[in-house]
Amino acid sequence: MISIIYFSLFASIAMGCGLYLLIAKHPLYGALALIGNMISLAGIYSLLSAPFLGVVQILTYAGAIMMLVVFVIMVLNTAHDHEVPRFDWRGVYLVPVPAALALLLLALVYFNSPVADATALRGTAQNISQFMFDTSRTDNGYWILFEFIGLLLLGAMVSAVLIAKKRLSTHKEDV
Amino acid sequence: MTPDLMAVQGVAVVLFCLGIAVAMTRRNIFFILMGVELAINAANLSFIGFSRTLPAAMSLTGQVVPLFAIAVAAAEACVGLAMVILIYRARESLDSESFANLKE
Repeated sequence: MISIIYFSLFASIAMGCGLYLLIAKHPLYGALALIGNMISLAGIYSLLSAPFLGVVQILTYAGAIMMLVVFVIMVLNTAHDHEVPRFDWRGVYLVPVPAALALLLLALVYFNSPVADATALRGTAQNISQFMFDTSRTDNGYWILFEFIGLLLLGAMVSAVLIAKKRLSTHKEDV
Repeated sequence: MTPDLMAVQGVAVVLFCLGIAVAMTRRNIFFILMGVELAINAANLSFIGFSRTLPAAMSLTGQVVPLFAIAVAAAEACVGLAMVILIYRARESLDSESFANLKE
């Protein structure tokens, strides 16, 4: 019973913050709404017995990624974009297509009625790390995917530094 | 006692539609990035909701995939914000209409 109360609370906060992101005037308010959305989603993850993912969501999404977004918004705050309209109404015609696809998938799920499996494991840090790295128990390649993610993050960091550098020239003398 | 899985999927669909709507209709380039982030979050929520329907050790697959999705989203935000800084320097504007010079 208490989990249903918590779920409806978190779900209404998440959807309200998502709606506010759609109508917000300044990107900083939108970013704050998105942080609220991510924190309430972390609560929903914990209710769905994935506490490790809830913590990672708060650390990485609401912490690191949104900190970067808020920082860049504040750095570029001098732009005179208050006069331009908020919406580009031509894009509205494209919204129904993915929305209809998502609703179709939801209808498919509804007619197959998902039932919770009682033997599903709780996603604690111990269970998830054993699942990912203990190759004697599960011989799947998640650990090598983990290494590739590290490589991808390193590449993203290097390319972000190269992209945002002041001078980016192909001439040999002023590189 | 977990919440109703159908309600979880409903919330995920609502958040996904909101994210797509933000990414497609807003003109400010930050809102486009944040709309994509919202849609990724909705997909993660759907994964975790479905992971409850799988038996024993299989159920952790639905929680490892969002873990990787979060890491890829971090890389995407990193490069995306660097590109925002780059195109802001070129045009002195954050309006996506001012980057539409292929249209003319």
